[in-house]
Amino acid sequence: MATLNSFSELLELAEGSARPLDAIFLEVESAERDLPSDRVFQIFRERWSVMKDSVRRGLAGGRSFSGLVGGDARKVMEFTEGGDIAGGRLVAKCIAYSIAVLEENSRMGIIVAAPTAGAAGMVPGTLLAIAEERGFDDDFAARGLVVAGGFGALVAGKAELSGAAGGCQAEQGVGAAMAAGALTFLLGGTPNMSVHAAALTLQNTLGLACDPVAGLVEVPCVVRNGFTAMLALTGAQTALAGVRASSRWTRSSRRWSRSARRCRAP
Amino acid sequence: MISLLDIVGPVMVGPSSSHTAGACRLSRVARALLEEEPVEARFELHSAFAKTMRGHGTDRALVAGALGMEVDDPRLKDALEIAKERGLRYVLKPKNMGPEAHPNSVAITLSGASRTIAVLGASIGGGMIEIREVDGFPVSLSAKDPCLLLFYEDRPGVVMRASEIIGRRGINIASMEVLRRGRGDQAFMRIDLDAPLPPPDVDALRQMPGVSRVHVLDRVAGGAPIT
Repeated sequence: MATLNSFSELLELAEGSARPLDAIFLEVESAERDLPSDRVFQIFRERWSVMKDSVRRGLAGGRSFSGLVGGDARKVMEFTEGGDIAGGRLVAKCIAYSIAVLEENSRMGIIVAAPTAGAAGMVPGTLLAIAEERGFDDDFAARGLVVAGGFGALVAGKAELSGAAGGCQAEQGVGAAMAAGALTFLLGGTPNMSVHAAALTLQNTLGLACDPVAGLVEVPCVVRNGFTAMLALTGAQTALAGVRASSRWTRSSRRWSRSARRCRAP
Repeated sequence: MISLLDIVGPVMVGPSSSHTAGACRLSRVARALLEEEPVEARFELHSAFAKTMRGHGTDRALVAGALGMEVDDPRLKDALEIAKERGLRYVLKPKNMGPEAHPNSVAITLSGASRTIAVLGASIGGGMIEIREVDGFPVSLSAKDPCLLLFYEDRPGVVMRASEIIGRRGINIASMEVLRRGRGDQAFMRIDLDAPLPPPDVDALRQMPGVSRVHVLDRVAGGAPIT
């Protein structure tokens, strides 16, 4: 196999060969790096360990290098352990673990960029949460990480990943799409379902202007309401745990709509 | 296709893959091209890079790279203090490079005891970098794979002789770029390889008539070589 360029090429290959997504992605990477597949998997397995460590260190707390952030992951986790949670333990852990990685990152700690450092939380956060809640072992979780990397590589081949060039939603959206494809794989979904999970996540993250298909309030609006409902739940969950928004965001809704259009903190 | 290990990676010191890891890698390339211990470093930072200089540790990362540190080296945090101990003088300055330049662009000038090298590059996301200029020559270089840079006098047969030395060793050329300032003037060649070229063959390249400099970049910006 030479290379892969799109989600549809990936599907063709997966459906033609009946092989799982991680095996396909490992073979592509193995050819690209000129390394045996089991060596490539071993590296993913090592990176998975670094990711788990970064969650653990992040939850331990401490302020960031600048002093601006820190301690929110621990608040969410402690609140979760108290049992009084809005979205269930899985959701709470996804939030706490993802924030933990970014807090560790902001302390100049060691993390794994996925796809960037600024968007490094979602992949380890959600994969570790689901692994713990479903009892998946590290080898299986690392297979999920391979799938996450595959989806990230496919998107990165066509899009900007740097926040400075592509905007924050580019890296956050790709990180979430990688996680979605991987979670679907870990939860027993078909390759087709993983592809749609990643694509739906991108479709519902990217885009700051109102630009629906055919000018109708249908695509992406209908499904996006379901996705955005999770933002509301996360807002409640984190606020109940004691996390506070920047005072700039609580002051004025006009400021919010203006800065949302410009994709920049107010 | 972009490598999966570049997407789930690098393993790095935070907080920014562009402004910390990428910055460190750009500087590592400059150090590798200098081929000696730098004693003086000048960094001119454009746009986003200039703004994140302190907050994202871009200053520390650039100096760390000049000191030869990798992106996952925990000492990266203390690079400014380590530079003082090791006698590396550095200057960091903002510089507007115009609307065409990538927001994460930096011009690096490193000097050692015997020479100076100038590199212009950009950090393009996820820790990946692109070198755009070496000593004034426009290039396009990721420094991720093994690579050779040749500076030579423009004349017939140089490309053939260079590829013959590489081919004899059984090493495949992945891609290549050949430029010159003018007919018979200074010329430049970039050769990306599928495997590093052994030192005796690099010496053979250096001894070719008309060749003034040969630089070897062995996966300087791709993390430690994975074998």
